Amino acid sequence: MNRYLDLSLEEIHNLLIEKTITPVDLVKESLARIEENKDLNAFITINEKAIEEAESLGEVEKDNLFFGIPIAIKDNIVTKDLRTTCASKMLENFVPIYDATVIAKIKAAKMIIIGKTNMDEFAMGSTSRTSYFGAPKNPFDKTLIAGGSSGGSAACVASNETFLALGSDTGGSIRQPASYTGIVGMKPTYGRISRYGLVAFASSLDQIGPMTRKVYENASLLNVLVGEDDKDLTSAVKEKEDFRRKMKTPVTGLKVAVPNYFMSDIVSAEIRTGIKDVIKFLEENGVTVDYVDMKYLDQAVTLYQVIAMGEASSNLARFDGVRYGYRSANYENLEEMYLKTRQEGFGREVKRRIMVGSYLLSGANAKVYYDKALSIRDDIKKEFDKVFASYDLVIGPVTTTTAYSLDSDMSDPMKSFLDDVLVIPVNMAGLPGLSLPVAKKGTKPYGLHIIGNSFDEATIYQLAAFIEGRYQR
Amino acid sequence: MSEYKATIGIEVHVEVKSNTKLFSNSKNTYGMPTNTCVNPVDLGYPGTLPTLNKEVVRQGIKACKVLHCDISKVMHFDRKNYFYPDNPKNYQITQNRTPIGRNGYIEIEVDGQKKKIEIEEMHIEEDTCKSAHRGEISLLDFNRAGVPLIEIVTKPCISSSAEAMKYLEKLKETLFYANISDCKMEEGSMRCDANVSISKTDTLGVKTEIKNIGSIHNVGLSIDKEIARHKELLEKGETLQVETRRFDSKKNDTVLMRVKETGNDYRYFPEPDIPYLYLTEEMIEEAKKEIPLLPDELRSLYKEKGIKESQIEKLISNRSFSSFFTELIKEDTDYKIAANLLLGDIASYLNRTRKDLGDTTITVKRLVSLISHLSDGSLSMNNIKDLIDTFLEEEKSVEEIMKEKNIQNIKDDSLIKDIIARVIANNEESVNDYKSGHDRALKYLMGQVMKESKGQVNPSLANKLLQEELTK
Repeated sequence: MNRYLDLSLEEIHNLLIEKTITPVDLVKESLARIEENKDLNAFITINEKAIEEAESLGEVEKDNLFFGIPIAIKDNIVTKDLRTTCASKMLENFVPIYDATVIAKIKAAKMIIIGKTNMDEFAMGSTSRTSYFGAPKNPFDKTLIAGGSSGGSAACVASNETFLALGSDTGGSIRQPASYTGIVGMKPTYGRISRYGLVAFASSLDQIGPMTRKVYENASLLNVLVGEDDKDLTSAVKEKEDFRRKMKTPVTGLKVAVPNYFMSDIVSAEIRTGIKDVIKFLEENGVTVDYVDMKYLDQAVTLYQVIAMGEASSNLARFDGVRYGYRSANYENLEEMYLKTRQEGFGREVKRRIMVGSYLLSGANAKVYYDKALSIRDDIKKEFDKVFASYDLVIGPVTTTTAYSLDSDMSDPMKSFLDDVLVIPVNMAGLPGLSLPVAKKGTKPYGLHIIGNSFDEATIYQLAAFIEGRYQR
Repeated sequence: MSEYKATIGIEVHVEVKSNTKLFSNSKNTYGMPTNTCVNPVDLGYPGTLPTLNKEVVRQGIKACKVLHCDISKVMHFDRKNYFYPDNPKNYQITQNRTPIGRNGYIEIEVDGQKKKIEIEEMHIEEDTCKSAHRGEISLLDFNRAGVPLIEIVTKPCISSSAEAMKYLEKLKETLFYANISDCKMEEGSMRCDANVSISKTDTLGVKTEIKNIGSIHNVGLSIDKEIARHKELLEKGETLQVETRRFDSKKNDTVLMRVKETGNDYRYFPEPDIPYLYLTEEMIEEAKKEIPLLPDELRSLYKEKGIKESQIEKLISNRSFSSFFTELIKEDTDYKIAANLLLGDIASYLNRTRKDLGDTTITVKRLVSLISHLSDGSLSMNNIKDLIDTFLEEEKSVEEIMKEKNIQNIKDDSLIKDIIARVIANNEESVNDYKSGHDRALKYLMGQVMKESKGQVNPSLANKLLQEELTK
């Protein structure tokens, strides 16, 4: 097997221009790697037409870095004529009739969709074990979880089946698996990337983002994905920018805050030590690092549960067996069709969240819980605003521990939320956040969390690129 | 013993006129082949998101203005969650917390008494699919899914079926004239629910909701039937229950649909896919500019121009007539003749040919020209019948048509006098009859004048001259 995919994006691009290789070679190599790593279970569906699509790409576009590069797509982003399951029995045979806006952009950039990656069912979970198709495994150690919900995309990139993937992040679902598998995962600012075609879990939190091997690839891919979309009213109107533009700017003089909560004993000693090591490295290089107190961070998970489950209970109502997806074979009347379809089509965690969410919105509860959560959420945003008035970035760990065993107990539904205690505040505030692998080579991966001010992804990449140089795995 | 007092509230849904649907760019049409005006958003497809049709927001602002509502400057949408196959997402996007309009009214007149029917609130929402049931199968037409609706809810301030019907007529006329909706109840572009209760005290009685009544007439009937039914039960000493009923036009009575389950829980929450919308003064002013003159304004305007009340109502009952007429009265012409022509020969032509005024070649300028020929005597009302078809079907000038039809009214006094002299000479007997007081003889003589002139004299002029000659 060729090992072209181990080269850098720019090296591959040059080989394509020189005609040393073709996009078909890359697609074949990627497919071979997926086959070789089949036990990782990173993919739910392989794009059978990938080679054909690579063949028909035509002349190499010299100014298009992504020309002919294979990319993996999380299976909650709809792809026309390519099965999109959300890792659920409900959509096991669902073939979409349209492309998500990000997919249209990826096709316009002539990337080749290699397949659809495994995930927690409807992105609900943080281990990818709620997948109807079985959990993906962590390439670092196949007895460990790859994290979730974008566990398949993380496993794909970490094993370099291909080095580009899309994930989605509602409460850490890009950054947490990126941390567990040792890749670069970015959740951009809410509104940065169109959500049109992302199967909604919690609409006010969901955001698509790039998951890649390298910071440079990540920022380059983000360049392709962003932009206002008239199909998504929550997408932001922003001037076009190159997210890589600060990557060579010295970090000297940057001011970085570390919330004390992020370095408290909820985080394992191993990770705290590692993050302190990074902090030391930054200070040595002229970065000011201050520890700060921030209110409400410890309440973010509770708020998240109210908002995310409330919205999810409504967003998932459309899966009813009437128009698409699974429909129970045995029913006598309409009500029974609804009940059985949803009983049989959804997995346990999804049903649990729909029930809790429905309860949270019912009757007077909406005011007691949902409205209140929205208001405290504004307070979290304001807390971050205060910090960003004096600092360029906020950093800390992404996860409290490293990846744990695939066989660990799943029966405590709260456990999975607590995995995300450090990532959820960022979703609450709608801010951009990136996970950068900083564990020592050969040790279990974990990520440094770099959080930026709204729409300031460029400064995140600036710091990430600088640290990446030191922490090569 | 005091009398029962009825308390009635009315909810109206109208389909809003717009090019596209409320939350997608599918066409907003009626009567298209089933499931042809549909896209993934209308189907509630996974991953789709709503967009907001600003045209509908503008219509909403117009509706606020014509119904005298306060406008919510910060407007938002909410999700109303309930499962039903005609509801593609199993939630409807509507307005719960921030209806676009509040505290409006419509003024009606019943038996000479004016009354303001107060509007509690008005909100924008999406329509559901149309479902059809064929034996065991249910079919869904998504053409209607996402069609914009405005719901208008009155306060419980209506006290009789007559008031309810007047309110609905006035509401319909207003929304239709403001070009907000077709308001065709037979096509479902205007739908009506009535809440009825009766009581002898100030405490409201138990209410019945009558759903989806198909005509204004039936709203009146069903309210009367419901009041009677409530009275009868209460007199018998029975307790009423909160019910939802519908009007069965075959039985000519209301029938029970369901007894209201306690607390329908729609789990309302703010729609996260649509940001808050801030209605600026500019947007409101822009929308206001689109509001044409409304029926009551037209009534006083036409009255000022000396049009008879019966004609005014006829003009207003046909919007193409009234909008034409409103344009026409900007010109200096004889408005009474104009009204006579429109409601007379032109209306009967349209009836006969099943056309609308817009399908004809009429223009304000051409009608003014026709009227001026009538005023100066070069045309008589009798001539109209001969030329009206051509006038409405071709773009020729009135003069060209007259020439073509060989209509040449003799306006020259001396020529007419010659003809009159001849007629008088040849009809001595009738002349004598007239002189001895038989007025009928004048008509005969006039007929002879017309005959002699081959219909080419101006009748009123000829009549005047004939009488002068006879009294000499």
